[in-house]
Amino acid sequence: MPCWYYDKKELRNTPSALDNIEYDTEMRYRKEGARFIIDTGSKMDLGYNTTATGVVYFHRFYMFHSFRQFPRYVTACCCLFLAGKVEETPKKCKDIIKTARSLLSDAKFATFGEDPKEEVMTLERILLQTIKFDLQVEHPYSYLIRYAKCLKGDKAKLQKMVQMAWTFVNDSLCTTLALQWEPEIIAVALMYLAGKLSQFEVIDWVGRVNKHLRWWDMFVEDVTMDLLEDICHQVLDLYSQPTPTTAPDSPPLLPRPAQTTQPSSSKTANGQEKEKPEVPEPNPPSVPAVSIPDVPTYPYPPSFTTTAPHASAYPPAYTNPPVVPPTHIAAPPPGPPPPHMAGPPPGVPFTPYVAPPHYPPVVATGPYYAPTPPSQPHRPYYPPPS
Amino acid sequence: MQPREKTHSHSHPVMTLKEKEKYIENFKFPFCDDSAKYEKVAKIGQGTFGEVFKAKEKANSKKLVAMKKVLMDNEKEGFPITALREIRILQRLKHENVVNLIEICHKRASQQNKCLSTFYLIFEFCEHDLAGLLSNINVKFNLGEIKKVMQQLLNGLYYIHSNKILHRDMKAANVLITKNGVLKLADFGLARAFSANKNGQPNRFTNRVVTLWYRPPELLLGERNYGPPVDLWGAGCIMAEMWTRSPIMQGNTEQQQLTLISQLCGSITPAVWPGVENLELYKQMELPQQQKRKVKDRLKPYMKDAYACDLLDKLLVLDPSKRADADTALNHDFFWTDPMPCDLGKMLAQHSQSMFEFLAPPRRSRTHHTMANQRPTTSAMQDSGYQDRVF
Ligand SMILES: Nc1ncnc2c1ncn2[C@@H]1O[C@H](COP(=O)(O)OP(=O)(O)OP(=O)(O)O)[C@@H](O)[C@H]1O
Repeated sequence: MPCWYYDKKELRNTPSALDNIEYDTEMRYRKEGARFIIDTGSKMDLGYNTTATGVVYFHRFYMFHSFRQFPRYVTACCCLFLAGKVEETPKKCKDIIKTARSLLSDAKFATFGEDPKEEVMTLERILLQTIKFDLQVEHPYSYLIRYAKCLKGDKAKLQKMVQMAWTFVNDSLCTTLALQWEPEIIAVALMYLAGKLSQFEVIDWVGRVNKHLRWWDMFVEDVTMDLLEDICHQVLDLYSQPTPTTAPDSPPLLPRPAQTTQPSSSKTANGQEKEKPEVPEPNPPSVPAVSIPDVPTYPYPPSFTTTAPHASAYPPAYTNPPVVPPTHIAAPPPGPPPPHMAGPPPGVPFTPYVAPPHYPPVVATGPYYAPTPPSQPHRPYYPPPS
Repeated sequence: MQPREKTHSHSHPVMTLKEKEKYIENFKFPFCDDSAKYEKVAKIGQGTFGEVFKAKEKANSKKLVAMKKVLMDNEKEGFPITALREIRILQRLKHENVVNLIEICHKRASQQNKCLSTFYLIFEFCEHDLAGLLSNINVKFNLGEIKKVMQQLLNGLYYIHSNKILHRDMKAANVLITKNGVLKLADFGLARAFSANKNGQPNRFTNRVVTLWYRPPELLLGERNYGPPVDLWGAGCIMAEMWTRSPIMQGNTEQQQLTLISQLCGSITPAVWPGVENLELYKQMELPQQQKRKVKDRLKPYMKDAYACDLLDKLLVLDPSKRADADTALNHDFFWTDPMPCDLGKMLAQHSQSMFEFLAPPRRSRTHHTMANQRPTTSAMQDSGYQDRVF
């Protein structure tokens, strides 16, 4: 099977980049596409697995094709359509398109052309080849649950932490993290983040061995703090970005000769132009800029985010689909408004961000990809009595 | 990731459907080979979603493959979900006794196929299928060879079940054997993943699976929360067939199939199968009463071997919860007493590929596959050469 993990350099050298689409713009298209899949999926009552699979297909697709050539919302619909079939939750193509139409502006829906269904069907064949029929995708959710079951401590706090981590996993779909790291690592990183933010300090865990310094040493090997921090920041960055509505909408489809203006430059919430640094700023002062979600100032939007399940009742189903298309991408991570998220807890400061971690090329297989068990030898052979 | 020629005009970056087709043609997909790398030799079967061809690799003509075409013509919902299922499952299953999916190839769109590209699943080629071998009177299995067949079959089932996959279409025709005597479970077109009752919710699978003659009583009675035992019933039917040489219970209707089962395995009652009374169709179906269990008695004349009869008796158990699983079956004395399972290669060598292809009856037409509501019709049975009933 192909390797679906890329380093940061490769993520800046995509077909879209070669097609003169700015990096930030591409990231925004990815985010919007992912968010749209999530919204469409949740409106159609599709489970989190189906939605997440669709999003991963979407990100993979644009490692081989440009956003300029394939309008993102059509691709998004196609990815969800295929994911529905793969995850045994099939939806009719025409129903997906109907839902898409209800969520998209006329201008955006125009990218579906005259025969939207045919458009999606044709694209499906391109999609299947692009992803090399590698249909099975794993997501951090199941690992999150598995890891959570091993952690000891206050049940309610643990529950809150898992809830928050779950939300982060949902939102991480809007980043390219799934193109960078295995789901196990993302699950560890986002639980680590949730632990920090919810002040749940993991002191003990089931299966603890002396050589384990951290709970996650039990599940993943050689994960550095730098790496965890980097993953956390990629997710937290989502919350400091403008909402899709305030961002200028520049569909890739309008003829756009190579230009130097930046229709995609992000704006801060107060409308000021803000250059997004190419790489996260390396020095500690940049840390406060990573706004840790500031819950109380936001009304809580109904969201895709499911309530993280009780450890006893995993895996959870989605909560009801949102009535209003959630715009919370720039809002705090949802979940029931956690009182504990009002800024970084004083006692447990978010570890200062030190330097952009070094990205070693990811090797697809690690010790955690246990292959399917080989068939066990049955009953040993005893030579028959002579 | 690689630069490529642009096929669209720069002023109109959005591609029309036509342009898209062209784009697919010109884009060199790094991961999906062109089916032209194989050369078709002969059509060997008709699957539910397309024809199956024997082919050889052009670069290495010794390498034989089976190409299963994925028909997309009449698909309202794009790439068929059954094909996706089969692909996903086969990608997960890598085992000596499971047919090996080598890759998926793509045939470029052309004028002839109305600009529709076609996909092929490429499998390792297997010279024989068990139904073909059993219907060829020249092919004789000795006891050790039968043991080897059953051992490999159960090994394959053990492997897929421990990977949480149900085959759901066990029958002799779906058991392939290579010329070296390695058995491969094939046709995962109906297979699906199962999990032990997700969050306490019983599964609601369709019970319209498994070719009627191999369909276990729980499916015939409408059970939807079924599991691995459905495949072991099929394994039992196939086991008996190793001696009888034709399917042991050839019902024409679900009702008739249940009658045949009761006549062989005894009456279906809550006494032998607690809970059966709660199955959806239990009251609707006519279940013969006062039938004695005669599995051993009726098969002994064919099977002779007492261990064989005993194992069969444990596979053809009405109550799925009491039916032997693959692990238990593999540990049965049948496989661990003389004559021990022995290699099939030698025996198969006498029935070389050419013999098989030209002298043996053709492989069964696959059109009577009894998924969904279809049943084997009389004509299909005639086509299949399964006329003489054993019972
Ligand atoms: N690897 C293989 N080597 C040789 N023959 C094969 C191979 N795979 C399939 N065949 C042959 O092709 C025919 C159809 O294949 P298969 O059973 O996989 O298709 P299908 O569409 O699932 O059929 P059905 O569902 O009707 O049983 C069979 O007769 C089988 O003998």
